[in-house]
Amino acid sequence: MSGRLVLALALGATVLAPLVAPTYHVLLMLPFMAYAVALLGLNLLFGYTGLVSFGHALFLGVGAYTGAFLTSVFKLRSMEVILVAAAALGALVAAPVGALCVRYVKIYFGMLTLAFGMVFYTFVLKFYRLTGGDEGMPFLRPTLLGASIEGLPKTDYLAGPYYYYSLAVLVLATLVMWRIVHSPFGLCLKTIRDNPTKAETLGIGVARYRWCAFVISAVYAAVGGALLGPPTGNVDPTLAYWTQSGNIVFMTLLGGFASFFGPVLGAFVFIYLQDWVMSVVPFWRLIFGAILAAIVIAAPGGLAGLWVRRPSVEASSS
Amino acid sequence: MLSGVFHGSILFLVSAGLQVVFGVQKIFNLACGSFYALGAYVGVSAVGWYVGAGGPPALFIAPLAVAGLAVGAVGVPVERGLLRFVYDRDETFQLLLTFAIVLMMEDAIRMTWGTSPRSTSGLYLTYGRVGVLGTTVPVYNLIVIGASLAIAVLIGWLLTRTTFGWIIRASADNREMTEALGVDMRRLHTTVFTLGTALGTLGGALVIPATAAMSEMGIELIVEAFAVVVIGGLGSMRGAFVGALVVGVLRSIAISVYPELEMLLIYLIVIAVLVLRPRGLFGGPPA
Amino acid sequence: MRTTRRSFLRLVGAGAAAATVRLDAPPAFAQAGHPVKLGVLTIRAGIAAPVGAAGLRGTEWWLERVNRAGGILGRPVQLVVEEESNPKDTVERYRKLVLQDKVEAVLGGISTGVTLALGPVAEDLGTPWLSWDGTTQKGVEETMPNPRWAFKSVDNEVEAIVAGMLTARHFKGIKTVAGIGNDYSYGHDCWQAYQAVLKRYTPDVKFVLELFPKLGVTDFTSHLAAIQQSRADLLMCSFWSGDATIILKQAAAVDLFKTMKGAFTTAGGVHDSLKKNFTPEGLLLGYNTMYFDDPKGSALLKQFVREYKAKYAEYPPYECDHAYFCAESYKAAVEKAAAGSTKWPEKATVVRALEGIEVESLSGRRSWREDHVHMCNFYQGITTHKNPYDFVTIDPVEVVSTKVAMKPAGTKLFDWINSWKI
Repeated sequence: MSGRLVLALALGATVLAPLVAPTYHVLLMLPFMAYAVALLGLNLLFGYTGLVSFGHALFLGVGAYTGAFLTSVFKLRSMEVILVAAAALGALVAAPVGALCVRYVKIYFGMLTLAFGMVFYTFVLKFYRLTGGDEGMPFLRPTLLGASIEGLPKTDYLAGPYYYYSLAVLVLATLVMWRIVHSPFGLCLKTIRDNPTKAETLGIGVARYRWCAFVISAVYAAVGGALLGPPTGNVDPTLAYWTQSGNIVFMTLLGGFASFFGPVLGAFVFIYLQDWVMSVVPFWRLIFGAILAAIVIAAPGGLAGLWVRRPSVEASSS
Repeated sequence: MLSGVFHGSILFLVSAGLQVVFGVQKIFNLACGSFYALGAYVGVSAVGWYVGAGGPPALFIAPLAVAGLAVGAVGVPVERGLLRFVYDRDETFQLLLTFAIVLMMEDAIRMTWGTSPRSTSGLYLTYGRVGVLGTTVPVYNLIVIGASLAIAVLIGWLLTRTTFGWIIRASADNREMTEALGVDMRRLHTTVFTLGTALGTLGGALVIPATAAMSEMGIELIVEAFAVVVIGGLGSMRGAFVGALVVGVLRSIAISVYPELEMLLIYLIVIAVLVLRPRGLFGGPPA
Repeated sequence: MRTTRRSFLRLVGAGAAAATVRLDAPPAFAQAGHPVKLGVLTIRAGIAAPVGAAGLRGTEWWLERVNRAGGILGRPVQLVVEEESNPKDTVERYRKLVLQDKVEAVLGGISTGVTLALGPVAEDLGTPWLSWDGTTQKGVEETMPNPRWAFKSVDNEVEAIVAGMLTARHFKGIKTVAGIGNDYSYGHDCWQAYQAVLKRYTPDVKFVLELFPKLGVTDFTSHLAAIQQSRADLLMCSFWSGDATIILKQAAAVDLFKTMKGAFTTAGGVHDSLKKNFTPEGLLLGYNTMYFDDPKGSALLKQFVREYKAKYAEYPPYECDHAYFCAESYKAAVEKAAAGSTKWPEKATVVRALEGIEVESLSGRRSWREDHVHMCNFYQGITTHKNPYDFVTIDPVEVVSTKVAMKPAGTKLFDWINSWKI
């Protein structure tokens, strides 16, 4: 009950933010919403299936580069087309990668995803002619729902239409993910996480379910990556580097992987905390490292875990 | 070819540190690259102090190695203060904790030594050069290769011929049983982690006369060390040895044959190994 | 509390979200004595961190002098320093400086990838941005031809162009050249431009090998083996960071420069780490736009080098000069725009005043070309051990102006190079 209230309040605040909050903080909500979409997907794998990917920056990269290619090479500006294409390409890449990765669990799964992530990173960095190498590619301003909004200054575009567009995508993604995790499919994933042998004896095709979860999470990450592009206006390989994969796992853990909304909270706190710490001290990595260490050691359930104590935290970390 | 072997021997030291820790504690220590960087910076400072104090240049390798090994002692507080809390957690949490150490060490190094690259000036060529297989090689490179080989042999001996090695292998196979036999796991963990750290810091210290210390050298190296242990097999010392040689030599061949491929080739091999033989070339049976 | 008032106005004024009206009118009536805020973006981590540190130090030195002398138009100057990292985060920091901290101008911006992303953002936010070292070129094609608010550094390729000219002058008879540069835009652009220039002077020159190791690699023994096998007469190298030190050290270990000439277009960026015992004499070495030991240097340069050395125990690299020039030219433009009054000028007026302005910087007179590009001198020369330091310096010092080594406004780089009369 109180959870619903908090959710409604959070949504209400997000809807009103562009009208009341300072522009800069409104703009910071954009990467938050993009990451939140990606993290919902990551957590289907992490929290619900028990597989931690250290290469999901790969799919952020796929989504972002899809948008960059479509807008600056193919002159296709429609954000809907970009999102669909990003999702499709994310699935296309994830299908074979996932098929290879889900044969393993735990550390081997993590390492294999990391290796694939680095292959992609090296590819975009090396194929200078195609991808612009380290300089990346411009992600031109997309049209939203067919409306060309060229006249508006970029800041107003981002703090206005694009903000609500991202929010709509996030809400939609959340609803779909909510359906997924509460469907029989989602329940099967949880069974696999807690006891793969039991799942197998129950007749659940463990590998196939893991693969599905992998592909869905990749689609989410690609959509998140595509949303991340327009605020920066440029897409570059650092988006796909392994430390970026580490960061998104960090966000998930910070918010709490055992809770549905934990990762969303994690993305929010991470972005605003980083913004604040960076403007106060130059050595923000030290502080972030310490925070991460403290969470891992003292509060593995993350912020959501501190708030509502859920027994499932223990179940998935055993 | 030989240049690849030199790079491979440094990679071996760092990967060996990674393997020792993984073998016993089952922790994939991302921070081994940071320890490598730490060793490099401490090495520069130690040699600088030594030369400043008027020590004979010919013996600079002594303070370098001593400093490299000694700073491995940071392994003790890291293990006692952080890692020991997560032994019974999921591997993911352990991995993330070492990622946190990577973040912290990067800034700690920057706060201590600043951002400029640090290097020992001319000591690299103190021991002169020799011609090997038609190319000129600094003797120092050969010393490092030799030292690395000696350490490999020493570790092999330690693991197979001593009680300590027996305990390590036993606890790698079955932690509970070893503990039940009366082994003090607490001390073992601290010792093993410190040993792993010292191998990394020694690697960093030994490489420094040939290069310069830069704050991001750790992040760069961890990716290569990762490739080494995957190719060789997690937890295997022989694997680290062969993997380091493979990565070092392949990289050097790729550079002279088709430079574009350099790192991509390494990752592709990593993936191939993971897919075809996930335990690596020398990996043990499934844990 | 400014926020609350604005927020209120916003609530009242904003009908549909899509038509959000922005009401942040700049408080142009700031009083004398009220500090003026300048944003600074600087790299703090990674391979370019020393460059970022030097830029910040140059700016801080400028700040002390200016504030001691009474500030700008009587207002003390205050810096708001933010970190330049990857394009995404830096764009966010830039927006914070302008939207949140309300700075009058932003100084800094080093990496090409980041500045490519910053350019359009700066244009949109309508605040002057004076870049230290970043261009908005991409593969030598200008991506932002007519900027209003963005002021860009010299083209990436100028050092390579100067080095190409000087290679032809100092190393006559070069037939084969190998090149090594970092695997990113700067490395690739430099190599392209160097080849184009050298080919103009020596049409029969052959380029036998090109290597592009990843930025941050600390072991070049394999690359050096490949370079030796190529048996080139000269090695061109555009490294500018610790990797320049490392490759020189490892090259000395295999006696590379006993048989080969070398042109290090940019290694002067880490000049005091190029120790004599591994850096040979006779290499072409570039110091970018400031040479700390310039015998013809101004009193300002000498004072700066002295105080910098005393404070940081290092000799200043070129980035200090870029940064000093950006800050000093901003001050001059504000004073010019105020035209004798003490009223703080509008940003748009300052931007117009910046165009074409010339000031005394550390390395001498520098100016902004009308199309918002730095104009300055480049310093390169042949390495020598005859100096009181433990690292190499250059003699003779060749000074080449961007008037001859940078493509004029509105031209294409390679068309321009090919149009030279030699």
